[in-house]
Amino acid sequence: MLATLVTAVVEGLQGALVRVEVDVAPGLPVCQIVGLPDAALSEARERVRGAIRNSGFAYPAQRITVNLAPAGRRKHGAAYDVAIAVGILVASGQVAASGGDWALLGELSLSGEVHPVPGVLPMVHTLARAGARRVGVPAANVAEAALVEGIEVEPLRGLDDAARLVAGPRGRRAARASRAAPVAVSGVIAAGATGSAPLVEAGPPVDLADVRGQAAARWGLEIAMAGGHSLLLVGPPGAGKTLLAGTIPGLLPALDDREALEVTVIASVAGLLGPGDGLRRGRPFRAPHHTASYAALVGGGPRLAPGEVSLAHAGVLFLDELAEFDRDVLEALRQPLEEGSVVVARAQGTLRFPAQVQLVAAMNPCRCGYFGDPDRACTCAPGDPERYVRRVSGPLLDRLDLRIEMPRVRPSELLLGPDPESSAAVAARIAEARARSLARNGGRLNARLGGRETVELGRLGDPARELLAAVAIRRSLTARGVHRILRVARTIADLAGRDPVDTGDVLAAADLRDPAAAARPGLAA
Amino acid sequence: MLGVGLFGPLGPAPGGTRHRAAEVGDVRARAAGDPQTGGPRDGRASFSPPGPAGAPAAEARSGRPAGIHPASGHPELAEERQAWIVLATVDGVGERTLAGLVAAHGSARHALWLAARGRLGRALGGVADGRRGIIPAATIAGIERAAREPGARLSALAARGVWTLTLLDPDYPRRLLTLLSPPPVLFGQGDARAMETPRSVAVVGTRRPSPGGRWEAARTAAGLAARGVTVVSGLAVGIDGAAHAAALDAGGMTIAAIGSGHARPGPAAHRGLAERIRASGAVIGELPPDAHASRGTYPRRNRLIVALADAVVVVEAPARSGALITAHLALEQGVPLCVARGQEGAERSAGCRALLDEASAWPFTDVTSLCDSMGWRAVAADGSQEGGRPGRADPGLSPEESTAPGPPTATPDGHEITPLPPLGAAERMIARRLAGGPATMDELLAVTGAAPGELAAALTLLQLRGLARTLGPLYLPAGSLLLAVP
Repeated sequence: MLATLVTAVVEGLQGALVRVEVDVAPGLPVCQIVGLPDAALSEARERVRGAIRNSGFAYPAQRITVNLAPAGRRKHGAAYDVAIAVGILVASGQVAASGGDWALLGELSLSGEVHPVPGVLPMVHTLARAGARRVGVPAANVAEAALVEGIEVEPLRGLDDAARLVAGPRGRRAARASRAAPVAVSGVIAAGATGSAPLVEAGPPVDLADVRGQAAARWGLEIAMAGGHSLLLVGPPGAGKTLLAGTIPGLLPALDDREALEVTVIASVAGLLGPGDGLRRGRPFRAPHHTASYAALVGGGPRLAPGEVSLAHAGVLFLDELAEFDRDVLEALRQPLEEGSVVVARAQGTLRFPAQVQLVAAMNPCRCGYFGDPDRACTCAPGDPERYVRRVSGPLLDRLDLRIEMPRVRPSELLLGPDPESSAAVAARIAEARARSLARNGGRLNARLGGRETVELGRLGDPARELLAAVAIRRSLTARGVHRILRVARTIADLAGRDPVDTGDVLAAADLRDPAAAARPGLAA
Repeated sequence: MLGVGLFGPLGPAPGGTRHRAAEVGDVRARAAGDPQTGGPRDGRASFSPPGPAGAPAAEARSGRPAGIHPASGHPELAEERQAWIVLATVDGVGERTLAGLVAAHGSARHALWLAARGRLGRALGGVADGRRGIIPAATIAGIERAAREPGARLSALAARGVWTLTLLDPDYPRRLLTLLSPPPVLFGQGDARAMETPRSVAVVGTRRPSPGGRWEAARTAAGLAARGVTVVSGLAVGIDGAAHAAALDAGGMTIAAIGSGHARPGPAAHRGLAERIRASGAVIGELPPDAHASRGTYPRRNRLIVALADAVVVVEAPARSGALITAHLALEQGVPLCVARGQEGAERSAGCRALLDEASAWPFTDVTSLCDSMGWRAVAADGSQEGGRPGRADPGLSPEESTAPGPPTATPDGHEITPLPPLGAAERMIARRLAGGPATMDELLAVTGAAPGELAAALTLLQLRGLARTLGPLYLPAGSLLLAVP
């Protein structure tokens, strides 16, 4: 007897429809899965057999053939378990398919429980577009699946739930099904998310009120966050670079609807959505370690998973200890930073992941960390500090808008002085400035403006324009350098609610250093 | 120390280790065989060594008159001078070998004549102990190569724009003659007269200074330059570089004594600086252009720094620093030594404190008191005496300078650009704080109470006017702010 069910596969960030055909026929009792399954999928037959037996059904002692169509498309993961198991039940006549057409997603445990799987959001979206009306998803994935409109979502806790859905209210035989008592495991593990855990997302963001001293760096950070400018923090160990970066999530406004959906889809595919997580509204803040590989940062790997730069889409990618990153890995970031997306090309085809990130990087000024420190001696050889900065790819430094130098905080500053402003106050100013620039620039932040647009939308007053020319000539700036100052000046004016940009804004922007300048020789002179 | 130099007078120098100027003149007169000053003409006085194996033996062997004949401009003297230079371009020929060759063969010309025929012996003349009286075979080979193509050696120097001064020249720098072993041939680029300026001070220190030390060096050099004093240093990174650059920025004269050849003067980071020094000062050294610096060349270079200076200022020196060698050479030569004490307990100034505590060094406070101690009245860069002190309360910040629109700058295509806006009260207040030493933006914010944006704008304006520069998180005073009395 033949049973056909519908399920979906994820490729990149897109889902694709997959039909599960199960044939149970007389013959030797073997189960064969065909249709380019990967290892996790091939092992589905063992999970499915255990789940069927432990749910109170009988595993047919006949020849079982499972076909995943279309046969030419690679399939991976365990999201087909439920569909295969129900297909076997229907094909062996244990469950009547009288409940209508159900698409089914979910991984089975041997006890018959349904476990969450990554990528439910794009898969359900695909099913809905393909015309499916009803879908059963793992209970832990219901929140994300419910974001898709026009499709009825039912939670699945066990194989018995799936059998009942397919059998419908009149499927008497399915009522017999039950689940075996769950095996007691540690609650923490049982409740954990399915994918790789986020690296730094743990814990609430640091509040700016907890960052003492560093008034200049706070100012620079505010500008960077208001304009979406990429930022390089340079300072000795203990200056508070990482702490300051930790305040970023608390300074950024919530995602809008479109961004939120994109971010949630990426998180879903990467398996970062926890049980019950629906639409993501907070901006992503990803801080990969400097040992991160090319595939981890840019995306790819055998499963074509999104990399950190995509996981940080619409948010901030924070690279701590920038100079310690592998040079080739950083070079690979140039294209995403410029185009706002990553293209991963493989023999099977190319995939495009969105990657509109604001890059924030931190590094020491030299290997020992104390170059230019007023109090502590730098132990590097002469010329080493320049070499250290040059380890970071020059073209990457060229793509950074601002460099903030952070001195070491003196103990007196930690204990005395006025209480610093809180994140809430700064975030309000940032949100206002962002709203101004988005309205003026047609939905883009100042940092995303191209060269000519910068001049047009920058709206310079005449004195400011002449002053910028004077600065450019005295510093022999390149066109890139002029646009950089102009964009930053535009943001400073937006923060102050000024239009047009005045001379003070241009001068203040010119004081925020050029990140690439540190790599030029002659620093030691 | 015995006052016997290979080129110096015989016997210990009277009046301490540093020779008096009159005596120096005497030495040169003898070297040049100037008849007017009655210099001896037998060649013994300047070139023969103290010891038995001297010129007479050489004379006997070669049958040629040893030494230099009188009358500057004499063709033989010119040839001998060239022979010295050719010998000095050979790797391994230093002042000792050159003197030994002249002593052994009577003249450099003769030594080259022999070498061109492969007949140059390995023995050096004038070496009392005999320990190092043999020329290594590699050096002999080098001399023979040079002897076959002396013209090429000389034109190679000219092609590089390197001039030479030998002990035979009447315009050999007088200051170097005070050395016990002056370089027989001095290679240089730039203006050789820089070494004849009446007042000069060496500013030396560590290659890894603190921002404060860098500022101290720049302030000192700028102050000296403003008083018409030539700044001497060694073109190394760190204090040396800061001193050279500040002296140039202040429009002063500066001399870099280098421990390598002129093809690679100092570190790569200082190529541009060396170019600037050549344009308005001099880069000098005793090594031929293609020579590499090695372990011993820097300490030897330091003696040139000391000899060219009337006083030595050590700005920042850790416990083991090349600057301490310079300091000890200064003590040895009787050149006044001034040492900045630096921050108490700072590792970077440990060597300075040791000098102050253990040696007879003066504590260095500022340029004004240094010049007072030297008995120098303020002299403008053009040499004219000036009544007032160049240090003003707020140079560059006087009402005329700060409110008058700066000089208009034109783009290369002749398009005139706007002058910078004048300095306001806020900028002048920040400038006054900066004149007191390097400060971070946070410190300036605390002092001025300004908003970060306003402060940043003011700092940009100061930088564009050349009154401030940045180093890491610090803003350093520059230009005329270096001369300001905080």
